[in-house]
Amino acid sequence: MTDVLASEFLKLRTVRSTTYLVLSIAATLAAAVLVAYLMTSDYDRQPPEVQAAFSAADPNAVVLPFGQFVLGVLGALAVTSEYGSGMIRTALVSVPRRRVLLSAKVVVVGAVSAAIGVTATLLAYIAGEVITGDRPEPISAYGSFSDALPTLLANSASLTLMGLVGLGLGFLLRSTAGTLVTLCGLLFVAPTIALFLPPPWDGRLYSVMLPLLAPQLAGGLPNAPLSPAGAGLAMVAYLVVTLGGGLVALVRRDS
Amino acid sequence: MIEVRDLIKRYGGSRAVDGLSFEVKPGYVAGFLGPNGAGKSTTMRAILGLDRPTSGEALVNGKRYADLAHPMRQVGALLDAGAAHGGRRAYDHLRVLARSNGIDRSRAAETLEQVGLAGAANKRIGTLSLGMRQRLGVAAALLGDPGVLMFDEPVNGLDPEGIRWIRHLMRDLAAEGRTVLVSSHLMSEMALTADRVVVIGRGRLITESSMKDLSDRFRRDVLVRSADQPALARALEQARAAVVFEDDAIAVRGLTARQVGEVAARQQIPLHELTPRSASLEDAYLELTDDSVEYRTEATR
Repeated sequence: MTDVLASEFLKLRTVRSTTYLVLSIAATLAAAVLVAYLMTSDYDRQPPEVQAAFSAADPNAVVLPFGQFVLGVLGALAVTSEYGSGMIRTALVSVPRRRVLLSAKVVVVGAVSAAIGVTATLLAYIAGEVITGDRPEPISAYGSFSDALPTLLANSASLTLMGLVGLGLGFLLRSTAGTLVTLCGLLFVAPTIALFLPPPWDGRLYSVMLPLLAPQLAGGLPNAPLSPAGAGLAMVAYLVVTLGGGLVALVRRDS
Repeated sequence: MIEVRDLIKRYGGSRAVDGLSFEVKPGYVAGFLGPNGAGKSTTMRAILGLDRPTSGEALVNGKRYADLAHPMRQVGALLDAGAAHGGRRAYDHLRVLARSNGIDRSRAAETLEQVGLAGAANKRIGTLSLGMRQRLGVAAALLGDPGVLMFDEPVNGLDPEGIRWIRHLMRDLAAEGRTVLVSSHLMSEMALTADRVVVIGRGRLITESSMKDLSDRFRRDVLVRSADQPALARALEQARAAVVFEDDAIAVRGLTARQVGEVAARQQIPLHELTPRSASLEDAYLELTDDSVEYRTEATR
């Protein structure tokens, strides 16, 4: 298993798409920091009553949705690029035990997504704190690090989740285009559609949409339908459905 | 050692492989022959565990492929040249595969050298020509120094030098005591490489024999040219031979070249040419597989 893990990590390191995806997260982070800086300098020029209506200059608010999509793509490409190129046959000839191959990919994609997620989230938090300095809320997102910690952990968990959801969908759908369209649908389209449903289904469905899970997991949303534990369970459900479906497809179907 | 037993593989309603059994032992090159769509690739994929057999089994060294601990150290397979990520460098591709089977990374450079790709080690696979990708696939097959090798249509995309190289490679591998199975739809290719052949059509075994037996089995005649063709033809017919005129020569069936020469000598007819002919292996193959050609062009019908 360690051989297969090392091989899968080497696979991820030796394709350019991984580099580009990491660079795009770095670029998003840079843009988010710039936005936070501009907001803060605008804040400084405003009278107090306008300042009180400001939202937080928190780079994580930009990094999270972009990061979710990019890590979804990273997870998806880890498998769909193999189906697209025929590499999957070579991969399954080198590792014919399909559960082992899938597990190795889960561990590697999960670990890499977590590392990228934690790093991006932390850097965004630190940059936000440096920019807002000792200004009060609401322009400063968090009063202290311990205030921020639940959000930082929830964001990291959500980014890791997206890497694995992308991977599971990739195993299930096999096609890069199909998987990316599905990811876009889940992240950007489905939440909007959910809001058009008649009550109480609009709120119920909206609360379990992928982009909504991180804030509910952190417990930061007022009147959130899901408790942090409920949001955590929803995340686990996404993992079970996508990776479980991917495993069934990998084991049952010819390659 | 490769054993295929009563293998059946159904796709939807059609049977790609229909009760196929054969064995390949070490020490010779086994050709796996059949027209397009005969089930060669499906059989190879079943041996490698890529396709699940509907019934029957395919064993390598007595085990199912998926039960081999480090499969690349026992079996090397060249499936199709495209089976690699186009964005990865050739050397990295081999390193990834070596790592997955606990093979020393030095083998990646060694096999690249062996297949003549040392100079392209740092090129991305997508930029390689079909022939070079084919060589990279061979390097991947050789990576684990396996005792069993399977090549699916290995000459595809190779230039004449490459074709000659791969023929020698396969013969050398067999001479080293390895089990070598090579598929092809071209008899002419197998005639130059294989010692034994497994011929299949429509998923069924048509024949399994040595190359020599196969060529012996097919009709032979003797081509003869002489100073007096009509007289010789009459004499041969009296000797109960079947005679067919071919341009300025006579094709004789039913007598050996020696008997034809003796008939001519008794008649005192000078011979200009006396050539025993066996049906070419190509013809033998076409005759064998005639009933099982799935995709046929109008002209050859």
